Amino acid sequence: MLLKTLQLFNFKNHADLRLDFKPGINAITGSNGSGKTNVLDAIFFLSNGKSFFNSIDSQLVRMSADFFSIHGWFEEDVDILVQFDTQRKKTIKRNEKAYKRLIDHIGYLQTVFITPYDIALVNEGSEERRRFVDFTLCQTSPSYLQALSQYKKALDARNALLKAAEGRPLDTILLEAYDDKLAGPGQYIADARAEFSKEFFGLLKAVWNHLSGPNDELNWTYETQWSQPQSYRTFLAEAHAQDCQAGRSTRGIHKDDWVFELNGQSLKRMGSQGQIKSAIIAIKLAQFDYFKSKTGKTPVLLLDDIFEKIDKQRSDALIQWVGSGRMPQIFITDTHYERIRSHTEQLGLELSQHHL
Amino acid sequence: MQYTSEVVEQAVEALSGFPGIGRRTALRLVMHLLKRPDMEVARLAEALLKLKTDLFVCKICNNVSDGETCQVCSNPAREASLICVVEDYSDQMAIESTGQYRGVYHILSGLISPMDGIGPEDIHVNSLLKRAEDGSVNEVIMALSATVEGDTTMYYLARKLKDYGVKTSCIARGIAVGGEIEYADEITLARSLQQRTPYSV
Repeated sequence: MLLKTLQLFNFKNHADLRLDFKPGINAITGSNGSGKTNVLDAIFFLSNGKSFFNSIDSQLVRMSADFFSIHGWFEEDVDILVQFDTQRKKTIKRNEKAYKRLIDHIGYLQTVFITPYDIALVNEGSEERRRFVDFTLCQTSPSYLQALSQYKKALDARNALLKAAEGRPLDTILLEAYDDKLAGPGQYIADARAEFSKEFFGLLKAVWNHLSGPNDELNWTYETQWSQPQSYRTFLAEAHAQDCQAGRSTRGIHKDDWVFELNGQSLKRMGSQGQIKSAIIAIKLAQFDYFKSKTGKTPVLLLDDIFEKIDKQRSDALIQWVGSGRMPQIFITDTHYERIRSHTEQLGLELSQHHL
Repeated sequence: MQYTSEVVEQAVEALSGFPGIGRRTALRLVMHLLKRPDMEVARLAEALLKLKTDLFVCKICNNVSDGETCQVCSNPAREASLICVVEDYSDQMAIESTGQYRGVYHILSGLISPMDGIGPEDIHVNSLLKRAEDGSVNEVIMALSATVEGDTTMYYLARKLKDYGVKTSCIARGIAVGGEIEYADEITLARSLQQRTPYSV
C-alpha cells in the first residue's frame, strides 16, 4: 500500500513535519540527530500501533509537549491517524473511525523494518527471537494473536501464584486450574510456531542463497520443550514440584527458541560479523515475503541506515532483491543522498529526496 | 473546591468516596438533599445506618440477609439440593431476576486471583464444600464470569466437588439472545460450536 503523505505533530523530535512521498525510493536524508529514523518509526507506528524501539508511548512525546499524533494518507483513500495524549489514552483511527480495541488494527498494514538494531535477533537471548516470530505471526493470524494474549494472561496469573508461595508446595488443584487455561492456547501456539518455522525456513533459504551464494548453508531450527504425543497438560503437570521450587513456570512455549546455524555451527559463536549481518537481512526479507504470501499485499519497507552499516557487496545484493519488481515503495534513511543514489540507480526506480 | 460551609464540605467528602461518584456529582447530591424535607433525609440516614446495624450475612450462603439465614435459604419452596455459585450479591440478584431459578445460592465474595493476592482460602470456598459434604446437594451450577479468574475458580471448585460426588455444571456461554453471528467474536463463536446443544423439534 503506497503511503502518499505523512504528517507528524510532537512525535519524538518532530514538532510539525509534513512529507509527501512518491512511489519508488524515498530517500530521507539529513544530518545526525535530524530525526530520520523517527520518520521510519512513525510509519512503523501507523502499521503496528506502537514504536519499533520504545513501547512506552509517553516517552515518544516531544519535550515540553503533552500529545503526539501521526497521520498517514495512503492510496485508495485510506488514512490512518494515531493520537496519543498524556492525559488520555491512545487512539487509532482508520478513515476517521476509531478502533474500539487497538489490537483490531494489527494486521491491517504490514511493515518490514530493517535497522542496525536487528543484530539482537542473533546475538541476544531467546526473547528477541520469540518477539520476532510472534510479531510476524500476529500480523497474519488473528487467532494467533488471541491465543498469545490468552496464554500471557494465564501465565502471569500462574507465575503470581508461584511467586507468592515462595517455594512452598502449592495446592496441585490450583496449579492444574492454570494448566487447564494454558493448555489450549499453549498447544495452539506451539503448533502454529512449528508450522511457521517450516514455511519461513523455505523463504529464508531462497533469500539467503541470493545474498551469499550457495557455498554457505544457513539453517534455522525451532526448539521447544513440548512434543507430541504427550498432552500439553501432562507436560505442565510434570513440572509442578520444579515450578513451586523455582517460584515461576519453568515449562512452556514461553521458553521456546530458534537456533541459527551456519554450515552446521552456531551462527552466533562462529559466524563472522558480515555473515551475521547477511543472515539478519535474509531474515527480514523472508519476513517481507512471508507477509506478502499470507496477505497478498505488499508490505511497506523501511531501511534504516543500511549503507552505512552494511558493506557494498551485501547492500547491492539487498537492493537487487528489493528492486526486482517486488517493492513499489521503499523508505531509506542516510546522511548522504549521494550514497543512496549511487546504490540504487541501477534499479531504475523513481528516486525522491526528503531532506530534514 | 472551597465551600462556605464545613458541613457541606464533610458531606461532599463522604459521598465522593463512592464508586463512580466524583466531587461534582457529590455536590449535586448534597444540594438535592438540602432541598428535601427533613423527614426524608432522616429516613435516608436511618436506612444507611441500618445497613451496618440490622443487616446480617446469611450463615448458609453468605448473602446479605435480615436474619441469620436469608429469605432464599429459609424458603422451604426452594430446592436446597441445587446450589448456584456466584461471585457477588449483584450476580445473585441478576440470576434471581430471571425468575427461572428455583434452587438456592452460594456467594463466593470474590474469585481466585493470585495477581491480587486472593487464594481459595480468601473466598467462601470452604463453606461451599461443607454444604456439599453431607450428600444433600445434587448439583452445583457455577455462574461465574468468563475471565481467567472465573475459569480458574470454576476449575478449582469442580475438582474439589468431584470428591463429594456432586454434579457440577457451568452456565452456557455463547451468542446473546437477539445477537447476530457476524458480530460475535471468534472465541465466543468457537466455544458456541464446541458446546453446541441438541436441537430437536
